[in-house]
Amino acid sequence: MDKLMQSAVGLLEQAAEKFKNRTVFEDKDGAISFAKLREKSRIVGSELIKRVVTGRTSPVIVYLPKSINSIVCFMGALYSASPYVPVDYAIPLARMEKTAENLSPAAIITDSEGREKLLPLNLNTKIFVFDELVSGQADNDAVDKALNGVCDLDPAYIMYTSGSTGVPKGVTVSHRGVLDYIEWIAETFPVNGDSIIGMQSAFHFDNSVFDMYTAFYTGAKTMIIPEILFMYPEKLMDYMAESRISCIFWVPTVMISTANSGVLENKPLPDLKLILFAGEVMPNTQLNTWRKYLPDCMYVNMYGPTEATDIVTYYVVDREFENHETLPIGKVCGNMRALILNDDDKLCKTGEQGELCISGTGIALGYWNAPEITEKAFVQNPLNTIYRDRIYRTGDLVYENEEGNIIFLGRKDSQIKLRGNRIELGDLESAAAAVEGVESACALFDADNEEIVLFIETRTEIIARKFKLELKKYVPAYMVPARIITMKKFPHTPSGKIDRVGLRKEYIDK
Amino acid sequence: MEEIKDRLRAFIQEKFEIDDDPDFTDEVHLFNEGFVDSFGAVEIIHFIEQTYSIEITQKDITLYPMNTIDEIAEVVDSKLS
Repeated sequence: MDKLMQSAVGLLEQAAEKFKNRTVFEDKDGAISFAKLREKSRIVGSELIKRVVTGRTSPVIVYLPKSINSIVCFMGALYSASPYVPVDYAIPLARMEKTAENLSPAAIITDSEGREKLLPLNLNTKIFVFDELVSGQADNDAVDKALNGVCDLDPAYIMYTSGSTGVPKGVTVSHRGVLDYIEWIAETFPVNGDSIIGMQSAFHFDNSVFDMYTAFYTGAKTMIIPEILFMYPEKLMDYMAESRISCIFWVPTVMISTANSGVLENKPLPDLKLILFAGEVMPNTQLNTWRKYLPDCMYVNMYGPTEATDIVTYYVVDREFENHETLPIGKVCGNMRALILNDDDKLCKTGEQGELCISGTGIALGYWNAPEITEKAFVQNPLNTIYRDRIYRTGDLVYENEEGNIIFLGRKDSQIKLRGNRIELGDLESAAAAVEGVESACALFDADNEEIVLFIETRTEIIARKFKLELKKYVPAYMVPARIITMKKFPHTPSGKIDRVGLRKEYIDK
Repeated sequence: MEEIKDRLRAFIQEKFEIDDDPDFTDEVHLFNEGFVDSFGAVEIIHFIEQTYSIEITQKDITLYPMNTIDEIAEVVDSKLS
């Protein structure tokens, strides 16, 4: 067995041998080849090994703007046998503090601006500036030795997701998950060395696993689309055409806004061939707009919680769909298994609604340094009493149709998806309650208008714009609610809880 | 340059319903400070493209920050000269 291929970074090692000086990534500042990426990442890995204790329980936070440099750091961490943790460069500092506290990272790699922001937090870890780290020396013996100690069930990356009590959860995913997923991608979809991937995903979302590792496996080139362009659909199309993008894996929100802006009609994209999407429900109304103007593309609806390596099920769109129809999330991908369990933990029959539970090499190892919540979500398969058989309970309600395709229905709990972002309303409520002047907060989701409505109990006058700025100190911008309703006193139920049903009736369903 | 800023300021104030607010300056980050939402960005670009008969390309948007009235006016000015 190839020892190297027990680490996800083995994919880069192989690619560097095979594709050498061809370009693997391009961002707004320039391009990098497979060989150069390997060289720089090995330097970062060597410097990490030299300066701190690395290894599978010593994660490395990467706190950088979305760029090629981020990838050098991810791979650098893997070369040092440590898992990497991509953190949003716009993360509120209060959230960074919680993340670092949960992780106890070996190091944080950032730029000088990021370092200035982090220093006052007094995080108990080393902070390295990327430019300085990457100008160090490669010690390939040390890297090879570190890699030799990696086993494929060690963690490759940790990604943080909203937690219901206001503490983010660090989903920990193994090398094996990444390796199996990418092999499946390459076998299933027409991506190859001629493909040009247009990357939309942020690195702290797991769709980025596709954009990075698919390039390594197939020799494709990935263009890191400048984030700002997603605000300007017309200019985004110009970029796509000029860059000759042939494959995209985007979150439906971006697909929807592109379709709604009307630009698909006037801006031909002759090179685009493969369109994948995942992260939330893709409505057929907008998908049909895409299909109308780009009829020759292959469209694939994918599904997967962060607790799996990106994707668990997929559905190649193979027939016409009416606008009101629901797109199936389809069937499981390679080395994964899906079980639909009813309330009695029995297997659902065809058409019967139940909770989607998943197992296979792609499911996460658990939540980092959080055994209790891990035990709750990653449980023994109730249908198997013979051996340890771990499943992840997704909390997603689904059913299987006559064709054997899974159909997504909604959530079991108060977790919501807003523009592709996963949000626990409890997370937002605890942040809102932390803002000065707020006595209590209650967040409800208005599904029809696709917005969060935040109710605040307060005796002071609150200016919405300023309140939102305060809130952004605690939660990411995507969690900041569109509508804010203030009141002096919340209505309560006889048991003394906030009357959420009453608030919904009066302000949302009216 | 001042003329460009005046027109921009007037347009943004009217379009995004901003009252006289001491925080609304030529240097303020329009998006981060919540004066304009991300959907409004397109409208601002559309306005300057129409008003001055110029084209803001995807490269301009990628390379030059256009988050404040000063920054937007700078880009417009460079296109006109």
